[in-house]
Amino acid sequence: MTRRPDLTADVSEILLSEEQIQAKVLELGRRISDDYAGRELTLVSVLKGSLPFMADLMRSITIPVQIDLMEVSSYGGAATESSGLVRILKDLSSSIDGRHVLIVEDIIDTGLTLNYLVRYLRGKNPATLKICTLLDKPARRIVEIAIDYRGFEIPDQFVIGYGLDYGEVYRNLRFVGVLRPEVYLDPD
Amino acid sequence: MVLDADLDRRPAPAFAHASEAELARILDFYAVAWEYEPHTFPILFDRSGAVLESFSPDFYLPELDVYLELTTLKQRLVRKKNRKLRRLRELYPGVTVKLLYSRDFRALLFKYGKLSLAGVLTGADGQTTPPRERSERPPVASAPTRPRPRRSRAEARARAAARLTTAGRPTATGTPDDAEVTA
Repeated sequence: MTRRPDLTADVSEILLSEEQIQAKVLELGRRISDDYAGRELTLVSVLKGSLPFMADLMRSITIPVQIDLMEVSSYGGAATESSGLVRILKDLSSSIDGRHVLIVEDIIDTGLTLNYLVRYLRGKNPATLKICTLLDKPARRIVEIAIDYRGFEIPDQFVIGYGLDYGEVYRNLRFVGVLRPEVYLDPD
Repeated sequence: MVLDADLDRRPAPAFAHASEAELARILDFYAVAWEYEPHTFPILFDRSGAVLESFSPDFYLPELDVYLELTTLKQRLVRKKNRKLRRLRELYPGVTVKLLYSRDFRALLFKYGKLSLAGVLTGADGQTTPPRERSERPPVASAPTRPRPRRSRAEARARAAARLTTAGRPTATGTPDDAEVTA
């Protein structure tokens, strides 16, 4: 029998409250608005985990922005066995040639996906390419990447909520919490 | 999109552990160029300067200039590797080595939905050589050595798969842990 997720009981600890997240998003929005004033900015978000952060961040930015969405396959997913290489599942809708691009990520841990995306997007000739992440988990880093806008550095725990999932669940939590280990160690 | 068209033509190293083959597949997936044990660093010398012990990190990522050392032994068994890594960092401060412990590798497997493979990819079950034999390679006189030629990725996978069920690797001579350090 498959265990039924419980959005309350499965969270062992609230790592970042809704208020903490919103305050940080406003702060990042102000910094980005100042830094990119007078420039053509495109926010590029990576589906699916970044959606809540993207939605809040773009509304906290006070200069004109364009947004775009990308989705890439993950190792271990259905695409892995067929090609053995990461695939762009959803590409940019508009050209970023000559535009200032800011990648909006929910979390950076190993840096492998982001490293791939940065190289891919650089090939599309943006004027500049920078990175904004709400969460940074440096303990898991394999590929070092310069982060231009960082919300929170978090400990090496499995976090869910505010877009982050486990088994496609928990994304709709308004906070970032720590998932109880027994949920993923003994799911049945 | 393939960022590195040479990936499919890379030579297949003889991975010593199934976890290394899996990490190589992950790096391949994300188009991160890697070399398997291309460099050996002498880390222990006797009074005459002869090399007594050396350390060959598992992977070198040339585009990032970073070495990765993967150990899936239980935490209490990695003391020797930690000591070697500390010594390497003392002697070669410009060299960046990231050590991935068993818990880090399990976290990777979990992230990619492959935690069920942890049993066969980590610890003694994933080894093709007993730990002492593999860690006690003959020392070399200079570092780093020339990178090994690459083999095809498909060949690497086939070899790694074979090593999940095949044991046996030539035994190397040992190096003393307690030799006097003069470097």
